[in-house]
Amino acid sequence: MAYIGFSTGALMLGNFQEALHLMNGTSTTAVELSALRLPELPVLIEALPELDLGQFDYVSVHAPSRFSAEEEDGVIELLRHVPNDRPIIVHPDTIHDPEKWVGFGRQLALENLDRRKSVGRSAEELCAWFERFPDAKLCFDLAHAHQCDRTMTDAFRILLKFRDRICQLHISELDSAGHHFPLSYGSIQAFTEISSLIPTEAPAILESLNPFQGEEETKQRAWMEQEMKRANRAIGRGEILTGTTSTVGQITLFPAPTPV
Amino acid sequence: MSGTPCAGQCESPLAELERILGCHWKNIEDARRRTEATLQQISKILEGQPGPDTSVIVHGSLGRYECTQGSDLDWTFLVDGEANAGVQNIFIEIKKALFEGAQFVELGLNPPGEEGTFGALAFSQPIVLFIGGEEDSNSNTTRRVLLLLEALPVGERHVVFDRVRRNILKRYIDEDRRLLQKKQDNESRRWVPLFLLNDFARYWRTMAVDFAYKQFDRGSEGYALRNIKLGLSRKLLFASGLLACFWCDPIISKNENQEISKQSLIDCLDTFLSFTPLERIALFFTTHLRISESKFLRGTAEELFCSYDAFLGLLNDPDKRNRLKKLRRDEEELDAIFNDAWKMRKVFRKAIQDMFLGDESPLRNFSIERGVF
Repeated sequence: MAYIGFSTGALMLGNFQEALHLMNGTSTTAVELSALRLPELPVLIEALPELDLGQFDYVSVHAPSRFSAEEEDGVIELLRHVPNDRPIIVHPDTIHDPEKWVGFGRQLALENLDRRKSVGRSAEELCAWFERFPDAKLCFDLAHAHQCDRTMTDAFRILLKFRDRICQLHISELDSAGHHFPLSYGSIQAFTEISSLIPTEAPAILESLNPFQGEEETKQRAWMEQEMKRANRAIGRGEILTGTTSTVGQITLFPAPTPV
Repeated sequence: MSGTPCAGQCESPLAELERILGCHWKNIEDARRRTEATLQQISKILEGQPGPDTSVIVHGSLGRYECTQGSDLDWTFLVDGEANAGVQNIFIEIKKALFEGAQFVELGLNPPGEEGTFGALAFSQPIVLFIGGEEDSNSNTTRRVLLLLEALPVGERHVVFDRVRRNILKRYIDEDRRLLQKKQDNESRRWVPLFLLNDFARYWRTMAVDFAYKQFDRGSEGYALRNIKLGLSRKLLFASGLLACFWCDPIISKNENQEISKQSLIDCLDTFLSFTPLERIALFFTTHLRISESKFLRGTAEELFCSYDAFLGLLNDPDKRNRLKKLRRDEEELDAIFNDAWKMRKVFRKAIQDMFLGDESPLRNFSIERGVF
């Protein structure tokens, strides 16, 4: 059974609390707590023990997408507070000293990158990273793969080579400048072409930028439901599934919360 | 190998075939070395010149890894990005950099041919979108087919080259409606991409027709050299393209894990076309000879590669090359160099025919069923 939900940063830029509130009352079963900007990370980590995440069967944390070598130790120290069963999504190009990240083992999920980056974009480039991090998982970003190669050949190659490592998906539309948008017909069609190779149980995290931020909550929630349906269709999943346990790759992730 | 299908870890198909046959093709190797050195020099000249969303691409003998003394520097500045008039200035700068200080002479190369297809700015949109129809001009077809069969990106910037090439392949594969569908007998399916094959065949015939056109346009100037090239390097190009289409069938590629999906065919073609034309042909022979011994395949491969090696040796000899360039039609019959070249052409022709149509060739049925009618 596959879970689906949103990145908090896509729903509500820089405000994960508000994003979680929006998800409440929708059919989302997965969430990625986003700390894409460095200042967001300490706030998120501090709030983590108190967050009500009972709605979600799958939770991951997205590490900052930019920090200096001097800031790396601090980032790692904060990320150590993330419970072991929650994957930490990391952009490979942010890693300054790989040795420092080895300790995260299977909790580390490297993400394939967009075409503005010079590493981690194709299967070939990812190979080098997985040699350094043999236990790491893959956060397969379909929008990044599509932006790098509109024919989805790179996506096909990534799936052939690293399908077993995938622990979650990122789904959205991305323009050539790297801006996220809700899914278009073109993206849905492109993702469909390789959907048969996507692990059926990989949780799907939508990064489609919420176009109705600040507007009525019912309107935003209606858009979320619609976007999830479109995403499910794009990856060949007919309907949103809910369940209790997800087994992805070789590790069991996130058992359902124990009823109180 | 122009691409990285083996990521530098495996023996090149040419080296493997040499080993299997116990041959050594010195002229092919020399041409390869010369190409590598020339590409390095061009890379240096162009360092920092091309902007994002562009690639400088070489075609012709450089694109085939067959550079000899006096080869043309056929190049294209390929743009695949948002509208930006600034690319014209970059193009002019690149052109200047290549011509300045007699760089061509230093590299032992000649400027691009007279047709204007090369040494020019090219945009991805018409190349990808106009396949067939009024808009698909001779230059457009040439650029598109050569991007697939005979092209190398120079320097670090090959992203645009890779991207455009895959987009071209995607068009041929996506629009081939019956591709991968089971045939009526319900047992076999069609793996060979006919839309692509037809365009390769069309291009080959266009080259042959243009040969006659150039004769009409230019008289006998360069006739003999063009004639020999048509029967060897041009024919090799078509043969390697035809083979690429047949390679999509696991019976020919011997790839038992070939997925039944159009995406998988794009991947297969992209990888196969990353080899040079000679490597593609060598890959066919090594793949089949590795599985079972065949006197027929050995003999055919030896004739094919030995005649081609002799051809490259001839081209790399400035005196012989110039003689062929200047030879008048009425002098041909008695000219020893032309007669030698003609023999190479004949042996090569026979070997290519055997490779595709010989009784014992694994390609025979494919050639008859798909390659002719």
